[in-house]
Amino acid sequence: MKSIPHQRSREVEAWLKREIAEQKSRYRKIVAEQDALAPKRDKWVAEFLQRIQTRGTHVHFNIMRKVRPEEVPVQPKRKFRVVF
Amino acid sequence: MARPHIEPFVDRDVQFRKFTMPGFPKGMQYKMLSLDPDNGSCTMTVMFEPGYKQPPGMSYSEYELFIMTGSITVGDKVHGPGSYFMVPAGIAIGALSSPRGATGLLFYNYGEPSFVESDSDHPRAERNKFAVVNSYDDMQWTSTNFFPATAPGCLVKVLHFDERTQAFTFLYCMTPNFWQDNISYHDCAEEAYHIWGTSWMMQFGDLPTGGYFYRPPYINHGAFGCKLGTLAIGRTDSRLYNHFHFNPWTNIEENRERAASRIQHWMPDLYKWINTHGHNHPVDFDFDHGHAHGDMAHHHGDGAVEHSHKKKRRRRK
Repeated sequence: MKSIPHQRSREVEAWLKREIAEQKSRYRKIVAEQDALAPKRDKWVAEFLQRIQTRGTHVHFNIMRKVRPEEVPVQPKRKFRVVF
Repeated sequence: MARPHIEPFVDRDVQFRKFTMPGFPKGMQYKMLSLDPDNGSCTMTVMFEPGYKQPPGMSYSEYELFIMTGSITVGDKVHGPGSYFMVPAGIAIGALSSPRGATGLLFYNYGEPSFVESDSDHPRAERNKFAVVNSYDDMQWTSTNFFPATAPGCLVKVLHFDERTQAFTFLYCMTPNFWQDNISYHDCAEEAYHIWGTSWMMQFGDLPTGGYFYRPPYINHGAFGCKLGTLAIGRTDSRLYNHFHFNPWTNIEENRERAASRIQHWMPDLYKWINTHGHNHPVDFDFDHGHAHGDMAHHHGDGAVEHSHKKKRRRRK
């Protein structure tokens, strides 16, 4: 039994409504901050794609393999989203 | 909808607020980390003010409490940093107090926070699932036992494991100079809070002490790095499988489709059965049949998913 059915009071509904509204604004702020991080992220991605060809990518625990140049993914034209 | 993707969020950036939810005693403050708009389940950083007192009582939802600083007293036992409580719905815990104050994390996993004064369990409570442990003093670090596993240097202490959903709650640490050069996603939602330390992820940058995320399924995260070490607590809502890859630009739909394709190849007979049953309601003989209560979500072959039926009335003969 994860949750026992019960009636919510009006005060609880009001509390939830406030929290949901605040979470929406928190989410928008996160999206804006992450959009602003895009130039740094692009640099990190470029470095990652280099490292997996030289040092390798983790496959399991300490097992790594080097990625061949033809396997390196190409960035699609759509917007690069990290927050969904 | 379920909880949104909150990542990253640093609770040090916001102030504690008084917790005024009806039923709870005065003297508790909170910072909301994430909340499900539908069922009210949520995760909060909480502070018990010095002198806080709470009578014996229960919650309508399962909850987990982890003490980060200070201490609380439950009954006659003092619980300091690292103490972890798994409290199933309807379990009455003894009087709780915090003479000198404490901070912790509260996870209400299936419904909004609630407190009902009571010194006995609700009739539907599962007392056998109640657990308390001091994770710092009474447990040791182990390697992750997933396959494929995280890179060496990520250690865990499993605090709670749900046998039906395989959801689990765990402390994890990243050793100094930990690094993992791949991208990961999971079929489960996961959340985590940094008790101490800063780690780095290629998508989101640094997550410092007080950093938190709630990440729905199939969202890319990684590569990872950690210069000085990190101690954190994490939780999933179901089984965690590490789907590793190295394409930074895949989206949720592509990741989910890849996971489904993997199921097709790993469990072909089961995959076929699931797809060909019109009214697909698999029953686990180890657990209650969902239709018996009418509350278990299940899937139909016509694409209507995640719904439940009302309990059927028996026909009178």
